[in-house]
Amino acid sequence: MSFFLKRAIGANCHLGRVILNNTKVPTVQRVATKTDQGTPQVETRPTVAKIDPLRKAQLIDFGKYIAECLPKYVQKVQLTAGNELEVLIPPDAVIPILQFMKDHHNAQFASLVDIAGMDVPSRPNRFEIIYNLLSLRYNARIRVKTYTDELTPIDSACEVFKAANWYEREIWDMYGVFFANHPDLRRILTDYGFEGHPFRKDFPLSGYVEVRYDDEQKRVVVEPLELAQEFRRFELSAPWEQFPNFRGNPASEEVTNATETKKE
Amino acid sequence: MGVLKKTTGLMGLAVAANPHHTLGSLYGKILRTLQKMPSDAAYRKYTEQIVRERAAVLQQTKDVFELESKINCGQAEELIIQAENELNLARKMLNWKPWEPLVAKPPKGQWDWPPAKP
Repeated sequence: MSFFLKRAIGANCHLGRVILNNTKVPTVQRVATKTDQGTPQVETRPTVAKIDPLRKAQLIDFGKYIAECLPKYVQKVQLTAGNELEVLIPPDAVIPILQFMKDHHNAQFASLVDIAGMDVPSRPNRFEIIYNLLSLRYNARIRVKTYTDELTPIDSACEVFKAANWYEREIWDMYGVFFANHPDLRRILTDYGFEGHPFRKDFPLSGYVEVRYDDEQKRVVVEPLELAQEFRRFELSAPWEQFPNFRGNPASEEVTNATETKKE
Repeated sequence: MGVLKKTTGLMGLAVAANPHHTLGSLYGKILRTLQKMPSDAAYRKYTEQIVRERAAVLQQTKDVFELESKINCGQAEELIIQAENELNLARKMLNWKPWEPLVAKPPKGQWDWPPAKP
């Protein structure tokens, strides 16, 4: 929206200058239309990633293809950062979607690059689980996102990708998301005897325990944390707007949305 | 029979003795599995299209190298793996029934970014 506004203002300035110079006045003021979005703008800044419009069109087509093939399991398909395809799925659909991505002739995302987690405490399902896949055959990447809360287990992707084993252990360790049917769900990153899930937003920055070497006992002892300063409530919310760039300018472009097309 | 292929050049992937026969039977199996799905399922439609195309090329060619260059999706051994995967997927799809309507709608605001303030 702000993009259109800027264009419109730019056009006005141009118009004004033209009148001042007393040259040919354009009869019709140019109004930004929907088709303007499709015209590729050539990126000249050297440090900004250049987005290939052909590649982007292919990604959009592939997103639609997935949504059409698996209407039962795809909630939404979107493009973020211009050229990253994301498939948003309900938690029950992890195994079918990943199996499809891996085994279908047109997908062949045979490599699971990473599984990431995300914690947004204000949502009813606060955790997001994000699968990053790579197709070596087609030189393409895709991201599959699903959601869960503290108690609902997610089906383990181990039966589809062997690589998922450790990634899921990491997520279990850091976020406490339980993976059903995982062959060996243990902590992997934290110390022996560690308690809690440190990547959760409600985990204190200082942790719960501190560790020091005790000279009398001749060993390292773990004690509950004692802070020299007494508890202070920090007001961390800023008075200004946190994401001004997102105002009316969503971070992702929608390719298809199953829920909305159903309503219509 | 043309020049015999010594190796695929890929770790752990042996040269297939008779790729035409293997691929033909696999494609047949995939098509038979797909026929159990409802005819308007998009997955069935697209997969049938892909497999029919490949099967047609398979019929036309006698030489393995010609087959590979016409399908243009890797070596014959890789094509066999792809077909095996697709067959495996198609059989699982029969249980999953992905052509049905959406299982669960996302909770309101689940996919919004930046997230709503509590």
